[in-house]
Amino acid sequence: MTGPENRLWGCRGLRVRYGGTVALDDVTFEVAAGSVAAVVGGDGAGKTTLVRALAGTVRPAAGTVRRPDRRRLGYVSAGPGVWADLTVDENLSFAGRAYGLSADQLEVRVGALLERTGLAAARDRLVARLSGGMRQKLALAMAVAHEPELLLLDEPTTGVDPVSRAELWRLLASAAADGAAVVVATTYLDEAERAASVLVLDRGRALLAGTPDEVLAATPGLVVEGPARPDGVPSWRRGARWRAWSADGSTPPGTSPVSLDLEDAAIVAQLRQDQPRAA
Amino acid sequence: MSPPAPAPLASAAGATRRFGELTVVDGVDLTVAAGEVVGLIGANGAGKTTLIRMLLGLLAPTAGQVRLFGEPPSRRTRARLGYVPQSLGLYEDLTVAENLAFSTAAYGSSDAVLEGELAEARDTLIRDLPLGLRRRAAFAIALGHHPDLLVLDEPTSGVDPLQRARLWETIRASAEEGAGVLVTTHHLGEAEQCDRLVVLAAGRVAAAGTMAEVVGDTTAVEIRTPSWEAAFTALDLARLPVSLVGRTLRVPGANPASVARLLAEAGVDADVAPVPASFEETFVVLAA
Amino acid sequence: MWAMAMKEFRQMRRDRRTLAMMILLPVLLLVVFGYAASFDVDRVKTVVVGPQAEQAAAALPDRLDVIRTAPGEGRRDAVEALRDAEAAVAIVTGDGQPQVLVDGADLFSARSVVTELRGRPELPAPQVLFNPGLETSAIMVPGLMGVVLVFVGTIATALGVVRERQSGTLEQLAVMPFRARDVLVGKLLPYLGVAVVDLAVIVAVGVLLFNVPFAGSPLVFALGALLFLFVTVGIGVLISTVSETQGQAIQLAIMTMLPQILLSGLIFPLQAMAAGVRWIGYLLPLTYFVQVARGVMVRGAPFEALVFPLAMLAVLGAVVFGLSVARFRRDLAPAGRRHDPGQAGDAGQDETAPARAGAR
Repeated sequence: MTGPENRLWGCRGLRVRYGGTVALDDVTFEVAAGSVAAVVGGDGAGKTTLVRALAGTVRPAAGTVRRPDRRRLGYVSAGPGVWADLTVDENLSFAGRAYGLSADQLEVRVGALLERTGLAAARDRLVARLSGGMRQKLALAMAVAHEPELLLLDEPTTGVDPVSRAELWRLLASAAADGAAVVVATTYLDEAERAASVLVLDRGRALLAGTPDEVLAATPGLVVEGPARPDGVPSWRRGARWRAWSADGSTPPGTSPVSLDLEDAAIVAQLRQDQPRAA
Repeated sequence: MSPPAPAPLASAAGATRRFGELTVVDGVDLTVAAGEVVGLIGANGAGKTTLIRMLLGLLAPTAGQVRLFGEPPSRRTRARLGYVPQSLGLYEDLTVAENLAFSTAAYGSSDAVLEGELAEARDTLIRDLPLGLRRRAAFAIALGHHPDLLVLDEPTSGVDPLQRARLWETIRASAEEGAGVLVTTHHLGEAEQCDRLVVLAAGRVAAAGTMAEVVGDTTAVEIRTPSWEAAFTALDLARLPVSLVGRTLRVPGANPASVARLLAEAGVDADVAPVPASFEETFVVLAA
Repeated sequence: MWAMAMKEFRQMRRDRRTLAMMILLPVLLLVVFGYAASFDVDRVKTVVVGPQAEQAAAALPDRLDVIRTAPGEGRRDAVEALRDAEAAVAIVTGDGQPQVLVDGADLFSARSVVTELRGRPELPAPQVLFNPGLETSAIMVPGLMGVVLVFVGTIATALGVVRERQSGTLEQLAVMPFRARDVLVGKLLPYLGVAVVDLAVIVAVGVLLFNVPFAGSPLVFALGALLFLFVTVGIGVLISTVSETQGQAIQLAIMTMLPQILLSGLIFPLQAMAAGVRWIGYLLPLTYFVQVARGVMVRGAPFEALVFPLAMLAVLGAVVFGLSVARFRRDLAPAGRRHDPGQAGDAGQDETAPARAGAR
């Protein structure tokens, strides 16, 4: 295996339209080989569109996209894209052959992947009988069978149990360790915190971008928390307590400052977006 | 002196369910009382869904007892129950208002209030609504007949943080009004929102209590090193559940000395230190 | 209970395809049974040859509709006319009694002629060619082959592709290094294979068990079957490009199959249909396949005689298959339906780095 090369993939000024709707507007995003980048946002934020644009299944209306040739690209669609009426082994073999692996290469690779993903015992089981977490792992195995340079995943952990989720992230990390550039779209901000860089989307626009630390540092004002809903500041529930954002940096009564995490940063960015401009 | 605890709204005592040779739920104890939010967490196949179905009365226990409002689950008690499955239980080809009308007719009455964006969307087909609004609609409709017990299956999966916070405000508001809430979740952030947690693994209760109690003193080993790829590969090869967090590595439930030794053998220079485990890491350790 | 009914009603109102089916199907059946379902052929095309052709033609009963008189032609030409489906009855005049030749493959025309002539003892007894026993199976089995090809071609194909769309794997295929052509042809090959096997089995059973004749060239038959498959498979793929679920695909498939089965001349002869309805039959691919199948198997018609139906199948095939491939390609390729071309001067660019040398 050749070592990770310093290739940058991503997009610049990307704009995507579906008919009359703008799904992505002027999005710039970069991911380097050997690292994991997270794209975060709620439903309709444009995550899937961004991943599709990077994969090449959607044409940009404006802007540029830098991606490797199809044969050096791996993609796990939200779904995921596995064939339910075939076995685990058959799915993997199909993917391997589609990407041009020879019969010998295939045998070795499939065996290794099954071991790595913990699916060896389920090798001859129909995918329809696998749990959600196992299907995602299979989809991931299929996407890395040909050792792609760019690996794209669309919400691989939504609705997946925590154990499988941890295992999936371990597999993603190992793909990055092998030199791939990995992009993960997710709604979970705690996952984004693990990535080397984060892009937060809201309704097609970039809200926040950078390393997790940069994003946190760039959040203006102060995030405070307390036992009851504070007055006069935008607030939201967190566990049994309340958090609020103080734009001017003052601490509202009944609250105390708290060191913010990515979830707070994303919520604050959203609130700032929704706020009408101050006079 | 605190008054005697009120009877739980839902309870399972030694609940067991077998399918042929397979024991899916094994001696589970669980209670949900009025005013509290209980989080049920488990890996797929841990028996969460089966347990819920027993509590709802859709499945009878093979052994043990399941009680809903003090009696075995039955049609009579259904009206006091509000259930929102993960698929939301809404008809995609009907509008919000029509779904509400159906629910109202089914339960006999409804005080469901469609507010704000939801009110504007009342004549939109569910299929044309974004996920966040769909979930809000499902909640509003389920709460409309004032259930005493709410059972919510992954209530905020797929939704952005702000919307998730708003949805939880609704959930907690119901709890504050006296309803008992049982939530199933896969997600750390939601687990944080619950008063109490019940962790299922392989059909059994692996841990129960508040999040702090569940995490207890589980630790993880944190590894800081410039050559994270080499360290990762070494630990991965040794079959340790290593995960990458930014640029540091973490191994839940491991022994720092063993990890240090493994890395030294692999020729990787790293700083190794024990740290408190996160809830997810605890879960991985519990489920192992 | 009323709540349930109300909800169901609202949902039903919005399900356009099912509504269409519930309305169109009865209309279709009414049309068919009102205007098409008849086994009575009133006017039978007739050719008269031989020296006394003119006189004979004038003396024939009304049922026999003389389309051509050819005094210069003889019995051989008459038989050819029947074999080539130019007419269903041929009168051969010459020395002695005129001969009445009837095309047994045109079953209902033949039966009506035979019945008529039985009541006219002054006219000579008819000789039935090509299907002397006037067996229904002889003409039904070739027609049924068409039905099988329609099933496999339309439904199986539609389901196969829609299943991919429904399970979300179509998107996965779009990202893999496949060309649209690879995906489509690769997908269709197994179904084509099955169709060919089905066909072979039915031919074998028909010929061996039901004594259906196979008088003509297997090559011509194969050509007809292949062209017909093109059309039905094309329809199947088209259906898949406008269906999101397998249920929808089946609905559409049924709506295209039923008119074909009822109005293609398979069951009810085209000549017996009211003219206002008959033209529908001429638009249906199954009509032409049935003509080819019956022509080859029962009459032994040569290629030259079947050029028209074969050509029609080829044209239909080209149009339908071409259209379906174009639509399918759009679903699979990047510059698909998600492309908004209205961005003058803003055209997006894709920089695709070439594959590294020494690919693994």
